[in-house]
Amino acid sequence: MSLFNAISISASGMDAQRIRAELITENLANADTTRTPEGGPYQRKDAIFSSAPLQASFAQTLSEFTAGTPEGVTVSQIAVDNSEPERRYLPGHPDADPDGYVAFPKIDPASEMVDLMSASRSYQANVAAISSVKDMIARSIDLLR
Amino acid sequence: MSLAGTGLELGRFLSYLSQRQEVIASNIANADTPGYKARDVAEPSDFSTALQAAVVEAPGLPSRNDGNSVNIDREARLLAENTIRFNLTTQILRSQLKDIRSAIDEGRAS
Repeated sequence: MSLFNAISISASGMDAQRIRAELITENLANADTTRTPEGGPYQRKDAIFSSAPLQASFAQTLSEFTAGTPEGVTVSQIAVDNSEPERRYLPGHPDADPDGYVAFPKIDPASEMVDLMSASRSYQANVAAISSVKDMIARSIDLLR
Repeated sequence: MSLAGTGLELGRFLSYLSQRQEVIASNIANADTPGYKARDVAEPSDFSTALQAAVVEAPGLPSRNDGNSVNIDREARLLAENTIRFNLTTQILRSQLKDIRSAIDEGRAS
């Protein structure tokens, strides 16, 4: 059923945007973290999106393959930002190096907030698409009355 | 209007609209996917024969720096437009079905 597929596609979009928002909040929460299990300061994470066909039966996949497939979205990779940490001069800090500098994660709260707004707006767009499909399905069911 | 053929074309139009809805949902879901190109369904010139409409890349849309060509405002407009057309078509189909029911009841019940 086409219309139920549309709901699954929008749900995949909501899922991907939620993962992105989670990573952004993780970045913001760890903006001053100097210790991690891997050692060194926290490193910024980012979700990489790629389009992906929905899980479907073989026959469905075949028919979509011949007709062109509307695809959902998935988080294919969580990219770790390996750029140089920001060095701040804090000689009394337990994580300071011999010169008195402490490595802090390079996280810009302003750009993280802008990213978070973008994720939230995209999430809303997917919710709007779902509610419009729900309306269409309700209209189809009304044909039976 | 023959009884057997009632609403066949409207039904095909509804399938076309739901296919299009799926493509629009896919465009919105992929609004932040690098390299994704917005898609659209080519509208058949008539709905008198059953045919699978082709999904094509939406023409004339500029790509952003990351290669993505989804314009979220365009998709919002198409989403609204598609819902309205779907609602209109189901209304017409309902009234046709009501006419048939009325004929079956010899015009007594409306």
